[in-house]
Amino acid sequence: MTNIRLRHHALFLFFVLFFAGPTAILVISLFAPGWTWPNILPRQLSTKALMSVLQHSNSILLHLGVSVLYSLTTTFCTLILCLLPAYYFARARFTGQNIIQGILLTPALIPAMTFSMGIHHVFIRLSLADTFFGVVLILTIFSYPFMLRALISGFEAYSDQYELCAKNLGASLWMRLRYVTFPLLLPSIIAGGSVVFLVAFSDYYLVFLIGGGVVPSFTGYLFPFITGADRAMASALTLIFLVVPIVLFVLVELSVRRFYKRTGLY
Amino acid sequence: MHNHSIFQHLRYLSPLLIPFFFFFAGGILLAVLQSIGIGLPFPYEGGVLDSYKELLTPYMLRSFLLSIKVGAFAALFSVALGTILAIGLWRMPALLQQAGVIYKIPLILPHLAVGFIVFFFWAKSGLISSAMFHAGITGSPQDFPSILFGSDGWGMIIAYTYKQIPFALLMSYASLKRLDMCLLETAYMLGATRWKAFCAVTYPHIRSVVHSTFCILFLFGFGAFEIPFLLGGSSPAMLSIEAYNLYFRKELYHRPQAMAILIGIFVFSVTFLTLYLRAVTPKRPEEMHD
Repeated sequence: MTNIRLRHHALFLFFVLFFAGPTAILVISLFAPGWTWPNILPRQLSTKALMSVLQHSNSILLHLGVSVLYSLTTTFCTLILCLLPAYYFARARFTGQNIIQGILLTPALIPAMTFSMGIHHVFIRLSLADTFFGVVLILTIFSYPFMLRALISGFEAYSDQYELCAKNLGASLWMRLRYVTFPLLLPSIIAGGSVVFLVAFSDYYLVFLIGGGVVPSFTGYLFPFITGADRAMASALTLIFLVVPIVLFVLVELSVRRFYKRTGLY
Repeated sequence: MHNHSIFQHLRYLSPLLIPFFFFFAGGILLAVLQSIGIGLPFPYEGGVLDSYKELLTPYMLRSFLLSIKVGAFAALFSVALGTILAIGLWRMPALLQQAGVIYKIPLILPHLAVGFIVFFFWAKSGLISSAMFHAGITGSPQDFPSILFGSDGWGMIIAYTYKQIPFALLMSYASLKRLDMCLLETAYMLGATRWKAFCAVTYPHIRSVVHSTFCILFLFGFGAFEIPFLLGGSSPAMLSIEAYNLYFRKELYHRPQAMAILIGIFVFSVTFLTLYLRAVTPKRPEEMHD
């Protein structure tokens, strides 16, 4: 029995080292600007990189803010686009359903370069290139399948009898959406939304192609640092990258809990 | 919902069908047209299939094979390790399982950041090279094998594997949650070895998830841009980088070739998806009419 416990703990230790270890080393690297070969541990620590981040906090915040904004807008757009089709896929049965669903899921499977570069030229003509709206549009096309898949499973997870029952009791469409569909679907919206947000937030190429460097993005800001010589600064910016989604997910989790508590659902 | 007409399908699905056809299918169509010389921002004088013919070189074949190698190895390693770790996590006591969510960290890290981490460890002047120096294996950074930026793609495979293991783990773990542990215990009681129990109980349960995960990861590694841009070599480069170079870094008249590469990636991806999914889908008579 102790043998098994030991094995579980050993595996857990592996989890910590393997998944959190490299990120923890970035934290050390953040405080060790001169850490190079052949030192396994840094010789001296300093807060130089942290100061540098503070110094550039205006442009960092700008790039970060725009990135968060277009990612959130993309998440919202995918939600709006996918609601009705997801409902239909989950509730209706028709021939060719699986094929149509499969085809609609392809934008996330096929490498994004293939359709985005062909359309780049048209985006320029329509003056969509180098605009915020253009970036949101291209990210939406690439990432909506994640939302669609999550919402279909969400609708499939509960029976349409709930909505029918509310209708029988005289609830209007709005009331049914507000008090039945939305609370039941919320976990799937969050699951799909988190993936879409992450995909949009961490994308470099599509934002670079369609945003053309005019639309600020944190990935675009980060890139020269990653390939540059200042590893401490690159570590700092990479860590900021990790912090933003985590903070966002925690906030969402908390507000969802509050929502469920207030409506007395759980 | 009964009595479905084609108009009803369209009415409900149009929020997605319209953007899908305009931007996704439209984007592919425009790439096809540009690859055969139509709709280019300059007068095109070549033949219809010239750009495709120009790609039929040993160099492009090597680029294609490298893309397949990187995508396949990374997907294979991620799925194998991710599944093993998922089984381990699934058998842990509840408290450790909850703490085990740290496996999601590389999932949140963008590809650029994972590229940076791999660079930090595996570069000639990286941490592993330093460790080998202290162990007395190498004498200078130059003695460390060039894993990154090489034309054999191992730097990219390492990066993709690290980034994708959590995804494979997440998928397998979610599927394992729906498997009754008693089935495994029964198998052990009936005298099954670990391997036998895995083959007869666990694997059939997670099989379809494992295959679809492999598909997703393979196609991503095959055609994505960021990691090869950071860690890849240049001769030959991955297909995505070759297309990028032809589009952005060379003369305008190379554009049809860039588009031809993209169409090649697209056709390969669709063919792979169709054949692979057809090969691994078990044929069940009751689902034939679905």
